[in-house]
Amino acid sequence: MTIRVLNPTNESLVVTLEPAPRLQSLRGKTVGLISNGKEGTAGFFAHVDRLLRERYQVAEVILRTKSNYSAPAEDEIIDDAKNWDLAITGLGD
Amino acid sequence: MTSALNSQYFDIDDSGDVQEFYHSRGWTDGFPIVPPTPEAVQACLDWVLMPANEIIGIEPVRERAIDAEKLAINAVMAGCLPMHFPAVVSAMMAMLKDEFLLHGTTASTGGCAILVILNGPIRQEIGARSDFNVLGSSDRATSVIGRAIRLALINILQVSPGAIDRSTLGHPGKISYCIAEDEENSNWPSLAESRDIPKEASAVTVLAACAPRQIMNEWTTKPEEILDTYAAEMRANMRNYSIWAGNYAVVMPAQHREHMRAAGWGRNEIANYLFEKARVKRSEWSTVGKGSVIRDKGDTEYCALPSPDHLLLVAAGGPAGGFGAIIPPWLGTKSQAVTVAIGACVDCEPAAASQKK
Repeated sequence: MTIRVLNPTNESLVVTLEPAPRLQSLRGKTVGLISNGKEGTAGFFAHVDRLLRERYQVAEVILRTKSNYSAPAEDEIIDDAKNWDLAITGLGD
Repeated sequence: MTSALNSQYFDIDDSGDVQEFYHSRGWTDGFPIVPPTPEAVQACLDWVLMPANEIIGIEPVRERAIDAEKLAINAVMAGCLPMHFPAVVSAMMAMLKDEFLLHGTTASTGGCAILVILNGPIRQEIGARSDFNVLGSSDRATSVIGRAIRLALINILQVSPGAIDRSTLGHPGKISYCIAEDEENSNWPSLAESRDIPKEASAVTVLAACAPRQIMNEWTTKPEEILDTYAAEMRANMRNYSIWAGNYAVVMPAQHREHMRAAGWGRNEIANYLFEKARVKRSEWSTVGKGSVIRDKGDTEYCALPSPDHLLLVAAGGPAGGFGAIIPPWLGTKSQAVTVAIGACVDCEPAAASQKK
């Protein structure tokens, strides 16, 4: 006997955001690092900072740290990020 | 298909094929599901007087809306009857409050599960037991309500392992984690009452919770000594897992409750005692291999509870045995327990959602 059943997933999901345009070069750019603030992030992001400056000639590296590593970044950080050429986030546990 | 429902549907040859169809798409927790037919889903919606497209809430971080139809589909799959659905709806509403931080709790490597605690008349209406094996599969009602929450997270919010769920270990409570309080056999106000829900109302409390840690002390009748064992387990959790203060649940079965009652101790006395006793100094980390992060804060004292009100004391468990359990919070106060009345508008005035810690 045929049985009719329903889709349990969120079918209304739509991707409305486009990825930001990719940079051709990091030379002379401003890069922001958004840390989740966990114990291991200090050394990790210090290393990333050094790599960006020495290997990729990044002009400025700005480190911002979320107050709650399980929650989204605060509005102030998001506002700051508008002045950056590139942001690196989602790393550092 | 019932015209009121909006979900995509599939016509499948038999119920055995339904199982494989759902498993193959990652829409289950690995166990068989009840086929979510339009009739069964509509029956759940009719029970709560909700149209299919009613928004239960929006997950605040990823801004994902959860509507009544999708929640009902997952509830049916979990084995819920219509009478179980109000508890599922209320639990989800509570989980979607900002202070619960649902996304963080479900995405964390920490691997907590959503503990649902039932209070009020609904417990008896749906046959939720609160005595034997209360932290296991004690009865149909609590098993299916807890499972409905997990399936809803998997299917509606993509909280499947390796997707949003990044748990390193997880714990068995992720299969189903729902208990009911034994209000009839305790001498203190119910958990919901203590969190400002009227005694006559049914309610759910949700907590982003680690696995239970069982204790035993059947060699004393003194409240202080019994609670010293609970406090020691809380301190062990603070040293070994997370030192941060938050909502700890304490599940106290009848034997320990009887000793509390005989000594005239109620909810407040128990909470105040644990608030004083469940404390560690940061220097204690050196005894469990965490000395490297003590730094110059060795003398700093940490309490398991930000205040006595943060204790979620639940009367539950079988009638015999000097056992009990603490259920630690996921991570301090990053996620806070939320209590809501079942069937009440959580955004209406006066607020039905508890503002208590």
